[in-house]
Amino acid sequence: MNVTQDTTDKTTTLHAAGRLDFEASAGFQKEVEQVVAAATAGGKAVLIDCTALEYVSSAGLRVFLVAARAAKSASVPFAVYGLTPSVKEVFDVSGFSRIIDVLGDRASALAKTGG
Amino acid sequence: MISLAEELTLLAVEDDGRIAYTAGSPNFAMALVGACLVDLNIAGRIDIDLDRLRVLSTEPLGRGPQDLVLSLVADGTAQSAERWILELQTRAPDLVRLALESLKNRGILHVAEKRFLWALRSRRYPIDDGTEQKEAKLRILGALLSDDLPTSHDSILIGLAVAGGLLEAFLSRAEIARLAQRISLIGGLDLIVRSVEAAIRADAEVRAHAVMLSIH
Repeated sequence: MNVTQDTTDKTTTLHAAGRLDFEASAGFQKEVEQVVAAATAGGKAVLIDCTALEYVSSAGLRVFLVAARAAKSASVPFAVYGLTPSVKEVFDVSGFSRIIDVLGDRASALAKTGG
Repeated sequence: MISLAEELTLLAVEDDGRIAYTAGSPNFAMALVGACLVDLNIAGRIDIDLDRLRVLSTEPLGRGPQDLVLSLVADGTAQSAERWILELQTRAPDLVRLALESLKNRGILHVAEKRFLWALRSRRYPIDDGTEQKEAKLRILGALLSDDLPTSHDSILIGLAVAGGLLEAFLSRAEIARLAQRISLIGGLDLIVRSVEAAIRADAEVRAHAVMLSIH
């Protein structure tokens, strides 16, 4: 799995690419927690770009709940966008689509989070 | 810290030490298998997606129920978590026994045998240290009564307790009905819990089909 990030005045975006499985989940979680902590201090929104995320396992999926929970408790606007059909199916089946803002594209995610 | 499988088993022990009758149901059996799979997933022994359960390592955890499940899935053919849950539900008595043993070894409960009419034996599991059971119940209630997103652990515990029919042990029907929307929203936000739910539905369909065939 490969994760990069970019930051603007209002938003930090994590671009997740590849396979988010058990092996990748700990590293991704650490990165997400750092980004949410920094966004809290900087008053920014956090987005996770999933357009290049090919696969999410049960272990990987839990990172999104950790991220959403951390963001909510810090009042940081949070959304994910660009889910591929297979990743979207995992979000829908698990119920994550009902508790996390899942948007189709970056523009919608920015509009939703005020970024 | 006790495992999810132990926590679920502990929720099935009533105040007087009896095992709740729901623990004898196929639904509880499948929820308990699911709890073992979650424990193994968190410990990095297996991983799961919508199609398949993958074994990452066969190294035992040193915990009875989880190691039994790990040995069975490691020796079996590759298949989905739902299929494994359906298949392993028959091992629930072993899993419950191992979980109770583990809880006994941790000083959380003990085994008490009674005899009635010189012949009928009754085994109970009086709880010595109720902290873990109370904490599990309080965590479930706390997550259900809060507006916050639950932790992954609490969401999974709620999902498995609902699937296994254990909420009724400490919540009234009216309370469960009042919390139904919240339970549905935050309970079981996890692929393994969803696999448990799917396995329970598939199992019920098979049983219903068998009943219908016996009628005609």
